[in-house]
Amino acid sequence: MNPSLHYVRQAASLRRFAWMICLLLAPTLVLFAQPRAYKLSGTVSDAKGALGAVTVRFDKTPFGAVSDRQGAYTLNAKLEPGKYTVLVNAINYKSFKKTLTLGDETAISLDIKLAEDVTRMDEVVVTGTSAASSRKTLGNSIGAINAKDVQNTGANAIDAAMAGKIAGVQIQQNSGNPAGGVSVRLRGTNTFSGSADPLYIVDGVIVNNDSRELIDLGGYAQNRLVDINPNDIDRIEVLKGAAAAAIYGARANNGVVQIFTKRGTTGAPTVTFSTRVNTDDLRQKMAWNQEARTVRGGMIVNTNPDGTPVQRFDLQDLIFRRAWGIDNYLSVSGGSQGTKYFLSANQTANEGIVRGSSFNRAGARLRIEQVISDQLTLSSGVNYTNSSSKEIPNGGLNSAYGALTGFIFGQNLVDPRPRDGVYPQLSGLPAVTRTNPLEAIDRFDFGQTTSRFIGDFQLNYTPIQGLAINYLFGFDTYSQSASAYIPRGTTAPGLPGGFGRSSIYNVAQLNNDINISYRTELGESIKSSTLLGGTMQYERNNQLTMQSESLSPVAVVASAGSAAQAFTDSRAELALYGAFLQQSFEIMDAFFITGAIRMDASSVFAPENRFQFFPKVSGSALLSEFWKESELAKILNVAKVRAAWGQSGGLTAIGPYTRFTNYAPINYAGFAGLQPSTRLGSIGVKPERQTELEIGADLALLDNRIGVEFSWYNKVTTDLLLDRTVAPTTGFTNLLANVGTLTSTGIELLVRGVPVQTDDFKWTVTGIYNRNRSVIDGVQGGFLQITDGFGQVAVVNGQQLGVFRTGYAARNPDGSLLLTPAGLPQRDIGKYDANNNPIPFRNAAGQPTNIDPETNRPTGTALVKVVGDPNPVFTASLINEFTVNKLTLRVQIDGMYGGQNFNFTRRVGNRAEYGGLEGYARELRGEVPIGWNLAMFGLLGEFVEDASFTRVREVALSYEINPENLLAIRSVRFNLTGRNLFVLTNYSGWDPEVNTGGQRAAVRGFDFVEVPLPRSFSFGLQLTF
Amino acid sequence: MKSSVFFKRLTHWCAVVAILTSVTGCSLDYVNPNAAAENQVLTTREGVFSLAIGMQQFYATQTLGSIITIPGTTARELGTPTTFQNPLDLEIGGTLLPPEHGSIFTLWAQSYRTIGMADNLINSTPNISNLSAGTRAGVIALASVYKAITLGHLVMYFEQAPITVGTPSNGAVFRSRADVLAEVIRLLDNAASVIAANPPGAEFTGSVLARGFNLANTIQAMRARFLNMAGRHADAIVAANNVNVTIAGVSSFVFDTQQNRNPVFVIMPLGGNYAPRDNFGTLGLNDSTDGRLRFFMGPQNRLSATSLRLQLDSLACRFFTTADASIPVFRAGEMALIRAEAQARQGNLAAAVTEINAVRTKRAANDPHGIGAALAAYSGAMTADAILTEIYAQRCAELFMTGMRMEDARRFNRPAPTATASATAERSRNYYAYPSLERDNNRANTPPDPSI
Repeated sequence: MNPSLHYVRQAASLRRFAWMICLLLAPTLVLFAQPRAYKLSGTVSDAKGALGAVTVRFDKTPFGAVSDRQGAYTLNAKLEPGKYTVLVNAINYKSFKKTLTLGDETAISLDIKLAEDVTRMDEVVVTGTSAASSRKTLGNSIGAINAKDVQNTGANAIDAAMAGKIAGVQIQQNSGNPAGGVSVRLRGTNTFSGSADPLYIVDGVIVNNDSRELIDLGGYAQNRLVDINPNDIDRIEVLKGAAAAAIYGARANNGVVQIFTKRGTTGAPTVTFSTRVNTDDLRQKMAWNQEARTVRGGMIVNTNPDGTPVQRFDLQDLIFRRAWGIDNYLSVSGGSQGTKYFLSANQTANEGIVRGSSFNRAGARLRIEQVISDQLTLSSGVNYTNSSSKEIPNGGLNSAYGALTGFIFGQNLVDPRPRDGVYPQLSGLPAVTRTNPLEAIDRFDFGQTTSRFIGDFQLNYTPIQGLAINYLFGFDTYSQSASAYIPRGTTAPGLPGGFGRSSIYNVAQLNNDINISYRTELGESIKSSTLLGGTMQYERNNQLTMQSESLSPVAVVASAGSAAQAFTDSRAELALYGAFLQQSFEIMDAFFITGAIRMDASSVFAPENRFQFFPKVSGSALLSEFWKESELAKILNVAKVRAAWGQSGGLTAIGPYTRFTNYAPINYAGFAGLQPSTRLGSIGVKPERQTELEIGADLALLDNRIGVEFSWYNKVTTDLLLDRTVAPTTGFTNLLANVGTLTSTGIELLVRGVPVQTDDFKWTVTGIYNRNRSVIDGVQGGFLQITDGFGQVAVVNGQQLGVFRTGYAARNPDGSLLLTPAGLPQRDIGKYDANNNPIPFRNAAGQPTNIDPETNRPTGTALVKVVGDPNPVFTASLINEFTVNKLTLRVQIDGMYGGQNFNFTRRVGNRAEYGGLEGYARELRGEVPIGWNLAMFGLLGEFVEDASFTRVREVALSYEINPENLLAIRSVRFNLTGRNLFVLTNYSGWDPEVNTGGQRAAVRGFDFVEVPLPRSFSFGLQLTF
Repeated sequence: MKSSVFFKRLTHWCAVVAILTSVTGCSLDYVNPNAAAENQVLTTREGVFSLAIGMQQFYATQTLGSIITIPGTTARELGTPTTFQNPLDLEIGGTLLPPEHGSIFTLWAQSYRTIGMADNLINSTPNISNLSAGTRAGVIALASVYKAITLGHLVMYFEQAPITVGTPSNGAVFRSRADVLAEVIRLLDNAASVIAANPPGAEFTGSVLARGFNLANTIQAMRARFLNMAGRHADAIVAANNVNVTIAGVSSFVFDTQQNRNPVFVIMPLGGNYAPRDNFGTLGLNDSTDGRLRFFMGPQNRLSATSLRLQLDSLACRFFTTADASIPVFRAGEMALIRAEAQARQGNLAAAVTEINAVRTKRAANDPHGIGAALAAYSGAMTADAILTEIYAQRCAELFMTGMRMEDARRFNRPAPTATASATAERSRNYYAYPSLERDNNRANTPPDPSI
């Protein structure tokens, strides 16, 4: 299309949009009486002293002011005389309200003393609400944490720092690399065709959180939230399902996480500098084979063929190291009445515990707010980040060239260190090569670099009291490039000539949002909030990849190879338009009702399924309003019941062009050709739709010393998109279809309390318990194999997502292994009943047989069944914080319980030909017969293990001093943080939390030599000027 | 005055907003820039040319690799030295080879993907108006030959098979082996007649036909192969006689070192998933002085990784040892052995022995591919049984790694597979079970599985 014509059409549609807004606003433009200039001033303080950076405002007016360092504020407001409420909502404090009658006196003095909000019932949240509302009025639960909760966690990324801190949120770190990927699941996994991670919004910008595997690192991939520095975070709000997130429409199926960064405050500049040094190491080695024996010719011997004694080497010692890292952060904030700014710069450098791996990040952020007139405020933020990492590939799901795959496939009978520049082959099989892990560390060169810009531009216009119009433009763009280089002549299998790959992924996405909110009172006791919004979202990306083998010597670029050259260029665009209307009523300060509708149109789906409608309704009753004057109010301060129902959609479950039968270009015999995709097109697919019902209660007890939040939910995702199989005789192998249903039911409980509080000692406790079960139904044929799980992971009706379905050992009725006459375990054989349950066959000797005892015919097959489930039954965390004067100790213990891992690492490491793990040493010591581990190797189901764990996630000790007259330093804080210190688990691998499937939705709990989470200690210093 | 400044500013900001907004694309119908849509392919001249190239590439680089390595392992030509579960299960085979086995699925799915492309070409090409008669005939003949080869090989491994692709709602109907072979022969006859009526010209060879592929000679060779399989002995002899078995008649699947690598090279020497068995895996049927042993195999170097512990050799055959090695579509000696078998089955034992000896005494220099047994003439018993066994043994060597051993072992009545895995069996299954993904999705049509 002619681009200029394109823009003319856009301008025309924009004009129509502007007119629509004007028409909508027309009835509200009413004239008011002449206002007068009032000046409210005083100080803000808490029990400990003055509080800066607290906003004091007249409720339902645009007028507000921020206290300075000494707590002093001056609020100038042009208001017509009458009754007004002074409102102060500060994070961690109970809301302050005082009603003033403004009359002839224009200078008013008011000192404000804030009380700590232990139960966080007065916390103000904005995500998904019609207007900023205190938590105790909401019909749905919202998870929220603020800067205080995520400081000194020792985590490199926001998602990792959030782990264990929010009810209903399961956060799992999939890799122990310094930029290891993190999966966030809000109330279970809600899709598995696309990403199952929530929608992230940072300062109004929809940010991209892709986990691109541009080079094969073995499942491990960074998720791009790692580009945002946790130090910049002011606050995070989490909507966990459709009941809360319906107004985010087609992007909300996996929930919404809204992140707010720090903002400037009025007053003299505040300079904060912090620095941190951390050191990481391997928390625990896997038990390895130290037996100075081996098997040759069926006999256990203690010499090598050349007569030298057998020696075994500790490869883990040579692969892992003590790693060091630093993190520096500087921020300057301040402002006058008209302008506020916040500027920060950060730099992080971290080594990984696998030798040779590292992650570096540097960035800067600037946020400016400018008052243009009483009615118009402009705000803009820019953020630039450059992240880079040096990677050591691990093999994992697709490639065999990794360091840790080399470790597990290599025998530890050979010293892996190079001799005369040659890295020895560790494979125990003739003519089979396996990467020497030290060669991968020393000679391979893998790395990634990301350059990212996130910016936003916001206009806030309040033409009349109660009416606010916000326009927001958000832009997120980055270029992620990755390169891989394996030189000629290494031990890497299948790559004698070396390998080079380079891949660049560019993405640009933007969102334009207009929100119009109007608050008014409809009579004495009914308040109304209306929110009307429109959004246009657009994303464009492209990936360029080049690779080749048989490289020229010396040259490391991907174009240097003469064989297996491949290049791909893939591009995509998608757009989404949405509009919503949300209406809330507050009745007698005790009943709160909200209803909303959202309409979306998305380019991903065909025109007939493109327009989607998402409704929501919620209500809550603040019962404690009815006894607020009585004695009961001292014991049961807040009692609220709530219920919410809503629907949302899944825009990102399929790619922009997935609905077509695409013919991809190929080259053959010098001709350019086309070949159909293996996926048959399915023009008619619809977006997934989630319907959630949530019921809960919030309580504050014993003079606000204890807060309880409880929720029960039921989420049903219908039209679940499954890349279902089709009969191969169609010429295709799969077809995207709306065939399944996923039902998640669960409860979440959060208890906050202050068991002890005296003038100089305080003990706070937060306990969180989440229980979820997400069951699949409607899969045709009963089950579906998932790609990328070595053929062991499946979707099975009546089971949770990603169960392990594979062969297993025959067992006696008492559960013990049914051994062969030679004393070895063996595969179970038999047939299936109508429900796909296995029926084993036994012969007269009680041994498995392929002869069906009923028919006497050899019809038995090797049986498979569901042998494990990676999804935890429940997760829990306990955070204790002790404060003695200026010394604070925080201890967070969390865990996941009842899930299982597939321990492929043990399966390989125990087998004789590899034999680097303790399991094979048992065979050498004669504790099990020779051949035991070889027999077990074929019984994949025997490697499913309980992956429950309890982890001491964080121990943070901090001490603050406020020196007098020392270089203008106002405070110095020392932090000592330990992260991932201890893990209590029966799991035999390195770490039960990691996942070789990376951030994949369906491949979970899959452990194949994935880098474990390191034990980390850090020491930090924070100076505030 | 103040308000005018304000409105000026407001106008300014609105302009900024408008510019920022206009960056947004307004369309909801984005065209896929990465790939062509089906209607663009099947209705245009360039589209069918491109699809014909895609079909040839897919068969050569994918389907052919499965045809050689997967039934080859079941027929004990190959063994597996790796520890991957799929090849291990395949080598053990027998009744324990489950219908959900990945390799069997791959063989089946790749075959029907090839047939799907061929069907589209056969059905669409006649409707494209701006094609010369010769080019149209060439495309139809080429698609027919690829479909015929694929279908003919399918019934070597499966009892029944559909002869055209189905749809998800209307599953493909399975046909008997005899029906399938009749269709294969019909396709080949039709291919021969359309190019005889309208010989394809330079446009076809210059923009559709992959180099190395001798279309006319391949049609005759495949007629001979499948007429023989169908038991039409006299016709098979005529067809085999029509095949040019000199260097001029060679027909090859070609490869390169880039994205079209020789699939057997990728699977075997490079991937290390399979290796040839010692002595063609024939357990004494073949002579240790047979020149073809050296042509195909290097030294013994390891045992297979299953409990069968089969003796494996390294692969030395130049059809498979480099990424860009060409694989013959058929080998010259096959035509003599087809004639030998057709004569023997018609009772013409002396004529059969003449053909056997042509293969037994052939020297490498006299074969277009350099395959030469250089053995003495046949000296065994002049009984039909002995001669057929000799023909089988010669096929095992001459046609090593062509995907035909499973069919040959059955057709020559070699010992049936045993229910439990055995290192001495000549095949571990008669026919494969139908892949469970076929049965689950095409329940109405999929026949019962064979017992072994």
